[in-house]
Amino acid sequence: MADKLDVKQGTLALMILKTLEGLGPLHGYGIARRIEETSRNRLALNYGTLYPALLKLEQEGFIKAEWRQSENNRRAKFYALTANGRKQLARETREWHETADLIAAFLAPKREAP
Amino acid sequence: MRYIRPALARIAGIFGKDTADDDLREEMQAHLDMEIAENVRRGMSPAEARRQALLTSGGLTVAADAVRDQRGLPWLDSVSADIRYAVRALRHSPAFTAVVVVTLALGIGANTAIFSVVRAVLLKPLPHREGDRLVYLRQSMDGPGGADINFSVPEIRDFRTAAPALGSIAEFSPWFGTLRGKDDAIRIDVGLVTGNFFEVMGLSPILGRVTRPSDDGPGVPAVMVLTHDFWMKRFGGDSSIVGKQVRLDGNSLTVIGVLQPAPWFPDRMDALANMVISPHHLSALMVEGRTHRMTAVIARLAPGASVADARNEVGSVYDRMQRDHKDAYDPGSHYRVAVIPFKEALGERARLTLWILMAAAAFVMIISAANVANLTLMRGVRREHEMVVRAALGAGVGRLRRLLLVENLLLTLTGAIAGLGIAVAGVRLLTSLAERYSARANEIRLDAQVLGFTLLTAVALALLLSFLASLPREGSFAERIAAGVRRLTGDTRKQRLQRGLVVAQVAVSVVLLAGAGLLTRTMVQLSQVNTGLKSEEVLTVQVPLLQLSNIAGTGTDPREVFKAVMQSDAAAKVRYEQIRREIVGLPGVLEVGVGSSTPLKASMTSFEVKAEGKSIKVGEATPRADFRTAAPEYFSAAGIPLIKGRAFAATDGVGAGKVVIINQTLADKFFPGEDPIGKRIAWTGELLKFTPISPEWRTIVGVVGNTQDGGMDAPLRPALFMPFVQELSLSGVIVVRTDADAASLAPTVTRIIHRVAPAAPIEDVLTVKQIKAQSLAPRRLNAALVSSFGILAVLIAAVGIAGVLAFSVSARTNEIGIRMSLGADSGRVQRMILSEGGVLLVLGLAMGVVGAFFATRFIRGLLFGVAPNDPTTFVGVAVMMAAIGIVACWIPALRAARIDPAITMRST
Repeated sequence: MADKLDVKQGTLALMILKTLEGLGPLHGYGIARRIEETSRNRLALNYGTLYPALLKLEQEGFIKAEWRQSENNRRAKFYALTANGRKQLARETREWHETADLIAAFLAPKREAP
Repeated sequence: MRYIRPALARIAGIFGKDTADDDLREEMQAHLDMEIAENVRRGMSPAEARRQALLTSGGLTVAADAVRDQRGLPWLDSVSADIRYAVRALRHSPAFTAVVVVTLALGIGANTAIFSVVRAVLLKPLPHREGDRLVYLRQSMDGPGGADINFSVPEIRDFRTAAPALGSIAEFSPWFGTLRGKDDAIRIDVGLVTGNFFEVMGLSPILGRVTRPSDDGPGVPAVMVLTHDFWMKRFGGDSSIVGKQVRLDGNSLTVIGVLQPAPWFPDRMDALANMVISPHHLSALMVEGRTHRMTAVIARLAPGASVADARNEVGSVYDRMQRDHKDAYDPGSHYRVAVIPFKEALGERARLTLWILMAAAAFVMIISAANVANLTLMRGVRREHEMVVRAALGAGVGRLRRLLLVENLLLTLTGAIAGLGIAVAGVRLLTSLAERYSARANEIRLDAQVLGFTLLTAVALALLLSFLASLPREGSFAERIAAGVRRLTGDTRKQRLQRGLVVAQVAVSVVLLAGAGLLTRTMVQLSQVNTGLKSEEVLTVQVPLLQLSNIAGTGTDPREVFKAVMQSDAAAKVRYEQIRREIVGLPGVLEVGVGSSTPLKASMTSFEVKAEGKSIKVGEATPRADFRTAAPEYFSAAGIPLIKGRAFAATDGVGAGKVVIINQTLADKFFPGEDPIGKRIAWTGELLKFTPISPEWRTIVGVVGNTQDGGMDAPLRPALFMPFVQELSLSGVIVVRTDADAASLAPTVTRIIHRVAPAAPIEDVLTVKQIKAQSLAPRRLNAALVSSFGILAVLIAAVGIAGVLAFSVSARTNEIGIRMSLGADSGRVQRMILSEGGVLLVLGLAMGVVGAFFATRFIRGLLFGVAPNDPTTFVGVAVMMAAIGIVACWIPALRAARIDPAITMRST
């Protein structure tokens, strides 16, 4: 447990949106499992991180929630991407790539130093 | 746009919290169940599966809190939690809460009430358009009744031509008349005004119109404008009154409008009319007589001119007037003129009293605030442990400060609400006080601004209290907890602050008490002033019977007018005699007399007098005397003692020789060391020309004692009495001396007068006792208010001393325990605590006495018969404060003496 990373602020929203885009409507547990798997268990998501983030996305109108039966016949709240969410995902993906390129450029060993 | 949606969602989240909480719980439970099921599937035992699942969750409650923060407005939630907590905490210390709330309520209540009066009477802008441009001109001279003698038409004309800074001048001449109703008649005060009056004053009608220049001069229709108060009182606010005719004395006037509410100065007015109803005001006598001063002057400053400009110009014009008309301004009387902003003039008489009350209330506020601060500090120290624990549980300094602020706000606002209750009652009382001093008393109300003032006071106080309490520095909690801090160890800084506050409380209380003592002594001195009358069981009724209505229709021939007046006067005198005889027959009545004026009240008129063979020294003021008439029985009925000679007799009739009776003051003035009986005296001066009074010599037949006609605190006024039957009965007062309760006779006497003279307006049915009480009432209320503030201050200060000492005792419990176990007896411990308090008390007393020495100078104007630094009062005040202070010290000292060393040592 101790060597697991905390989720960086702002990146969780992107992960959630991407997960929902790939897998369709999903409940909180499913989202958490998927993110942990994708990170190859390097990320730990506790409820206090996950649920406020889900609520925030819902408040912003990027996802919508609905109570449904789960695969093992349990009532669970399923989250799905909205049209706005899709646009937001595209925007954030682009921004994230740009930021990543920028950071990479900064971190690369500098050659032109005298 | 981006933020609106989440913001709305958040606000919506405040409501429907319960369902959302249920949902969340179910959602997280489902999550947990799925996690457990997955763990079991991987081969864990059910218990282990559950433990692991809970471990990854990071705590359901913490998560729920985080979600809740995201859902609504988190600070609102925590503030409401703070409020709930504060309410609980305050409920746990009911004594503290009660003392603080009551103290604050008294302080805030007194301040709110007095502030609302100060604002209405002194501060609020006048209702007049650009009212700050209005100035009041006052002409005064030395001697009784000389404080405000108005202006004559020629004087006003001079100002108008030579003082351009007075842009426009409004004149009004105080007048009175009998207004005839359907089945009654009342005497009303009417201001005779020029057509430009309302324009200059900046007053508008709320109904109909006001006068205009075309209403000036002779031969125009008589018109009347009602003041708002009178319209409401007499006509019940009936708007159909406009356009109707009313009868005032012999004149018929058309009511043309109702004026907006506005204060009147220098006299209260019921209605305003144009000059045409008084031929006298248009006559040459009035228009050309420089000494015929009957007109009050209010001017609107010219654009760009300042009050100082107006003062300069008026001053130089007035100097020239005095040089050019030496006979109109006798140098011995020191004629002078002042230009006063109208608002100041309106507040003039109320100013000193109100500011003193405001200062007293502010003092009480300071003392209560100091007390509350002290209590809060002590409570804060006792709660240090609690604060440390809260900090250990994760509360930051900001959060703790907010908690304190919420608590203090709760306290001060509760105090403010209770204070408003006190203020509502106080305002009612104060309005009756202010009515005697200011025409603006009817503007007093607890409105939004006054409430704002109260709210602001409460919030400011809460802020002050919250930041007074010292909280541990951020980050120092860990050390404190590690050091095992459980309670205070006697923070010296705080102790010094508390002690300083107590000294200040005592000092301020002493100042207040000194003021209260001086005002109370003034009251005592005044109520001991001898009125000069032998009995208080005397009923007086003012009844003007001379009907001028039949004179108005007689035309302008002076002889015709004179004949009509004399006929009407004779008829009036017959009626007075008839009334007198009927009252004499009543049981319990000892004597009934008729005269022109009420005893203990100043006569409305005074004139210059001279004595045969006596000249006045150069530079000495021209002697004047009150004009009074009296029937033979008047003196003994009123209880005025005859000192020399005789009273009037039936033989001093209409055709008999002119005789007079003078009072002691006038006798001393003209005949010091001589016997005045048989000497001759006469009315004199320019002013006589305007009156029907003859300037012939009159023989003095008697001297009567002085009476306090100008009020209990006023200098004695010279008076000259003439036989009632020898002069016109321009006014009439019936004086009834009884053997028992004079007031109980009032209804019967009123009934008799109504029967004999149904149309006569009856005014001021008062006993001598009531007149005396009335003249003392404002001062009594004043003294009572300041005294109650003083007593309040002392009590609060006593609570303050006792509280600080009690705190000190509880902080030093260990020390005291050690001292006692080392052999100190309880008497010694008691003395130790007493001396601790005694030092504070002595310091406060010394500062207070010095402060009072300077502060009481400001109330010199309100004192009578006692000096501002009266030693008796000062000593009395110091003794009283010391006694109460010592009692306050004794309570904690006794508690200290009862400390059981064994228990305190063990509990350490």
